[in-house]
Parts: sequence; C-alpha cells; structure tokens
Amino acid sequence: MAARDNSVQTILWVNLADGSTRLETLPEAWTRKYLGCRGVNARLLFDEVKVGTDALGPDNVLFFGTGPMDGLPVGMGRMSVACKSPRGTVAEGSFGGFFGPEMRRAGVDYLAIRGQSDRPVYLYISDGTAEVRDAAHLWGLKTNETDAALRRELSDPDVQLRYIGPAAENLVHASPIFGNLNNSGGRAGCGEVMASKGLKAIAVRGSQGIRVADYDAFLDAYKVLRSRLDLATSRDMWTPVWSTYGAPVLSRLFTDIGNLMTRNAREMRWDFDKATRISCENYLDNYVTKAKACWCCPWTACYKLHEIKSGKYQGFKGGSYWAGQPVTFGSLIDNDDLDLILVLSGLCNEYGLDIFHVGYTLSWAMECYENGLLTRADTDGLELRFGVPDPDGLVDLIRKIAMREGFGDLLARGCAEAAKIVGQGSERFCLCVKGQELEGIAERNLYMVALGVAVSEVGPDHTRWYPPYPCNPSLISKDELAELGIDLDLRLAFQGRNPEQKGKLLRWFSISRAIIESLPSCVFLVRDTLGLDMRPWWHLFEAATGVEMDYPEFVMAGERLMNLDRAFNVREGYRRVDDQPPLRMATEDVPYFGYRKLDPEIFDPMLDEYYEANGWSVATSVPTRQRLEELGLGDVADELDALGVEVE
Amino acid sequence: MKRTESTRQLDLRYIAHVTTITGILEESYQTCVATIRELLDELDAKYGGFRALFVNPQTGQMSLNAMIYYSDAGEVPVSVIDLDHAINDGGTVTFW
Repeated sequence: MAARDNSVQTILWVNLADGSTRLETLPEAWTRKYLGCRGVNARLLFDEVKVGTDALGPDNVLFFGTGPMDGLPVGMGRMSVACKSPRGTVAEGSFGGFFGPEMRRAGVDYLAIRGQSDRPVYLYISDGTAEVRDAAHLWGLKTNETDAALRRELSDPDVQLRYIGPAAENLVHASPIFGNLNNSGGRAGCGEVMASKGLKAIAVRGSQGIRVADYDAFLDAYKVLRSRLDLATSRDMWTPVWSTYGAPVLSRLFTDIGNLMTRNAREMRWDFDKATRISCENYLDNYVTKAKACWCCPWTACYKLHEIKSGKYQGFKGGSYWAGQPVTFGSLIDNDDLDLILVLSGLCNEYGLDIFHVGYTLSWAMECYENGLLTRADTDGLELRFGVPDPDGLVDLIRKIAMREGFGDLLARGCAEAAKIVGQGSERFCLCVKGQELEGIAERNLYMVALGVAVSEVGPDHTRWYPPYPCNPSLISKDELAELGIDLDLRLAFQGRNPEQKGKLLRWFSISRAIIESLPSCVFLVRDTLGLDMRPWWHLFEAATGVEMDYPEFVMAGERLMNLDRAFNVREGYRRVDDQPPLRMATEDVPYFGYRKLDPEIFDPMLDEYYEANGWSVATSVPTRQRLEELGLGDVADELDALGVEVE
Repeated sequence: MKRTESTRQLDLRYIAHVTTITGILEESYQTCVATIRELLDELDAKYGGFRALFVNPQTGQMSLNAMIYYSDAGEVPVSVIDLDHAINDGGTVTFW
C-alpha cells in the first residue's frame, strides 16, 4: 500500500459547470500558517469567494477540508465544510465519521466545488481522480434512501458518502450536509449551497496510507493526550459522565440548575420528572442498540444507534441523541415523550433538515399560536401548542417543512424570516443570532455562552468554544498560565454569571478550538487541561507533519483563522451591532434564581473586552491593521481597505 | 458519626454513572447528618462506592472527576467545592 507524505496537502478543484477537475498541491507554507482543515478552509474561503457573491449562485465555492491529523488516531474523521451562507456570513461546520480519512486515503485533502450543474450529479473520487456522474435517479430521495442507493450502485459497502436530503434540494433554511445516516455538518446552509450546485452526493474511496513524520514522537505525544482522557487519570468532572452517557445527561442536571431552555426559553426549569423521562439514563436503558465511534477515536463511542421497541412508533430506527435533541424536541416545545423526540429528530435526518432550525422555529410558532398571532387557519388546522397536543400533526409537519408544503413553507424559511412575515411583535419570540437559530446551551446563567453565541461568525455554534468553562482553576497555576501566554484570571473566568474575564476567556477558547478543528481533532476531547494547554496538540502536530514551529507560532494559527472569519463577515457588512444576544435573552429576566437578562450593562463590557483582547475595533468589531499585520494577514487588511471598510 | 438533633428531609438525585451504584434515579431521603461529607459516608454505607467516586483519598476533598450540586429549598443550586458544606432540611443534592 502506498503511503502519503503528511507534510504536503492537496486540493481537488471541481467545476460543475463543465465537469472539469484539477488536483493541485497547496503551498507547503500553508501547513505552517493555517495548519489544515478549518484553518485552510478559512483562507480558501476568504480568497475564493469575493465580496457580494450570490451564495446560491455559481461563484460560491463549497469546500470540504481534512487536515494533517485526519486518518490518524486523534483525527477521528473530523472534517470541515465551508462556503458562504445564504444569510451572508461564513458557513462552516465540522463533522466526524470516516469520510475525512477516506478522502485522505484517496490522496485528496481539500475539495473545492464551484459552478453549477444543469442536471443533478454526484461526485465519485477514487485515488486522486474525480468523476462527475449523473444523479437524476437520486434527486428527491431522502438521506437514508440516498445512502442505500449509492452503496448498491457502487457495490461497495465501505465507500464513504456525503449527501443532502430533500430539504436542501428545496432550499430549506439551514439545511446541512449529511453522512453515515445521522451525522450532519454545516448547519449555516452548506446543504442549500450544495443543492444549488445540483450536487446530490459525494462518494470517496482510497487505498493510500498516511505516514507520520516521526512515529516515535507521535506515539509519545499520543500517550500524553490519552492520559488526560483516561477514566483513571483524567482530572475532569465530565470524563466519567461522557464516557458512558454523553450530552443528554445534561437534561436532568440543567433543569435542576435552571439552565434548560423550556417553552421557547420563557422558562429555564422544566418539570424534573419530564426531564427524567427524556434523559440519557432512560435512552440508554431502553432505546440504544449499539454504540459507535468515529474513526479511531481515543475516547468514548459517543454516537449511539437506537430503536423504538414498543408503542405506535415501534420499529423506528435512528441514531444520535445528543445535547440538541432533548432541548429542540423536548423542553423547548414541552414534550416529554422520548419516542416522539426520536421520531421527530430521525425524520429531520431523513429529510435532511437541521434539528435546531426546526425545533426553534416550532417553539416560536407555538408561542405565536398561544398568543393568537397564528391560528388554525394558518397552521393547516394543527393545534400548535406547547405540550404537543397533536403529535401526529407535528410528525407530518416535519415532512411539510422539508417539502415546503402549506404551513411548512413558512417554517421552512427559518425563524427570523418567518417572524418578519408574521410580524405583530413575533420577532420577540425568535431565538436567533445572525438569522440562525440557537443550539442547546442556555445563555442567561452562563455568560460566556451568551457572548460566544453572539460573536460567532457562523451564527450560534457551540463547537467554536466548547466546553463553556475553563478547567478546574486548581489544575493550572498562574505561572503556568503565563508560560502558556494566557492572560486570564481563571477563578473569575470560572464564575458563570460574572461578566469579568469572559471576553478574554472566550478569545482563548476560540483560538484553542480553532487550532483543534484545524488539525483536525474533536472539541469533545477538550478535557482536563487540554483546552488551555495546547502543548500536547502542538507535539502531535509536529510529529505528524514534521513541520517544526515554536509554541506561540502554533497558537497564532488559531488566531489567524479567527481573524479570517471575522474579516469575511466584515467584508459582507457585519459589524458590532450584529454581535448581540436574541431579544428575549437581552430583555427578559429568568423568573427565578435571580438570573438576569443580558442587558447592555452586563453584555457590553464583555463584548468590549472580547474585541480589545482580539485587537479589533471596540466600536465596529473590525480587525485593526496592526493586528492583521502581526498575524501575517496584511493582504486581508489591504483588501478591506480597498473596499472602503473602516480598518483602524 | 456526628449527629445533629434535627432530622433533615432531602431530595437526592443521581445522574448518569451514579445510577449504576444506586440503581435508582432519585429518592426522598431522611437523615440526621449535617454536611455533604457525612451524607457521602451514609450513602457509602447504604450503596457502596460513594466515597470512591466523590472523595479524593489523597486530599480528603472532592474528586476532580466528580460533581455535586446542592440547593436549599427555593435557592440557586451551587456546585459544592467544600465537602463540609452544610445541608439543611428541604435541600436538594444532585450527584454526578
């Protein structure tokens, strides 16, 4: 078996307008400057998608990126998908599985797709060659049907696939790209962009190996990282929990501490018995049939397959019950029927919908309905109330959203657009930032979360700073922090509802997670001190690639990525005014525990601190020329200047 | 074991892996002990494994791999750092 040199990264350019393909090698300096995956995608996106490009037009480019760690035991198949979002921002997301390593085994590290096909097609990549194939027979199929059809057609059970569902084909808001049936990525509309190109699926198969530059050094670095994750040696309160149960464990704890968004986040505590019924404990005991891990994951198999074993949905199979599903189809709409949650989220996967778009738009519609802003005449006769009095109607509504039928067409536009159409103050019930619905983690009792959601260049995306707390302050001394170049008071940063240090904390978390997603690895591995001390990751990168750099230079790669994303949004007109929490969070106190609304008195100082720490204009959020030049991004400053952007 | 005169009625909640020790998700629990540390001792005697999960044998303090939330009736639950944290009648203790 041939083995690839891991210091060089390749990119396959595909133009769907004429079916042409071209494999190139990226400059070696890019591995040093942007590491890989999300970092390289950020540079490519800024360079290749010019200001004002129509996101659903031929000039938008859809990038799939792997990186030097993909195909190695800490890469776990993570990959980044990026393009310009139909809402104008950066659209970037990552997903795991096996596709990334397979792409690398095929000799392709990045895939750049531009142009539009005049008929449905899919792309078949095999060992450095690419072929555009007819997909008329696949267009309109659900994701599970597409998966099965392609495996049959290619007669290859191990082929790795990415595809879209009918929702993306119908340009439904926020539709992501899917793979492995239940994994999705790019919820800021990467699926819509893929559909706009007429591209139904990508299939990849490779036979090459990946050779690390220094095997012994890689093994040594791997052992250090592994010790931070091991149940016996990890110093992290989440390690035992995550090792078996995963994120749904939070539903019971979060309702206990007033951190569970309930009934469209009007409330933050749910009935504890309801939370117990939808809990991971119930899920694991009564639904899970198999646990699966991504490629060579050094930690737990957090992806679960499940089956409903009795009742009217008996036999319904699916996978993935994580932090989002219990919120979006549970507490947010006041539904404590776990069968129904699994059916609703499973149908979203099959139709290719984003669960957060659907969940938050449903809870918005329910609040509108209960306030008389929507009636049965609007909802095709559906009694759309919290508590879900008509579960069958809700099940059918998922299909109608994907197919843009009847009332489903309003919800298919997303919460922010739907609120503009309904008007009458319904914007107040809309829980969006930059036109994108929130995710599962609440804001008013974890201030760094509120800040992180507000400033994210892609809209709400917790993986950009996850987990939302520093490691235990006693694990790392002030001297060690200084040695790592981190200007942070960990004790203040650890206080969830103290605005102090949250800007600096978020900055560091954003840099460090950007690094991890550029290697790439998974942010769920940020346990123990691995979110603050990036040296284990640095050692892995150097051993894997043979690219030597000092530690500050390694860290700077993460900051470079952040600035490229920010510059992309700035170029499209986004400014400080767009970095705000949803109206409800900014104007309504939580009705107990003394949790306050995120009014300017609390929120603005955090935002100021974040911009200042980044070297961005506090008034506008535009990166300063000085900071961009320090990061080696003088060309970005020049372009912003040329466009008349107010670069200080 | 040190006992106080008054009896305390507590809601105990067990999350995730802790339920593999208790076999139950929650219980209403009557006790005379006054601190989280003493409560852990009682639960260890009842179920086994509580001290091993929650107490670092080297320091005698909370294990860095564990978490306990405590709230008095109607109050904000707080993460317990000091195992000698007082418990009161009507309180809720969440273990994970």
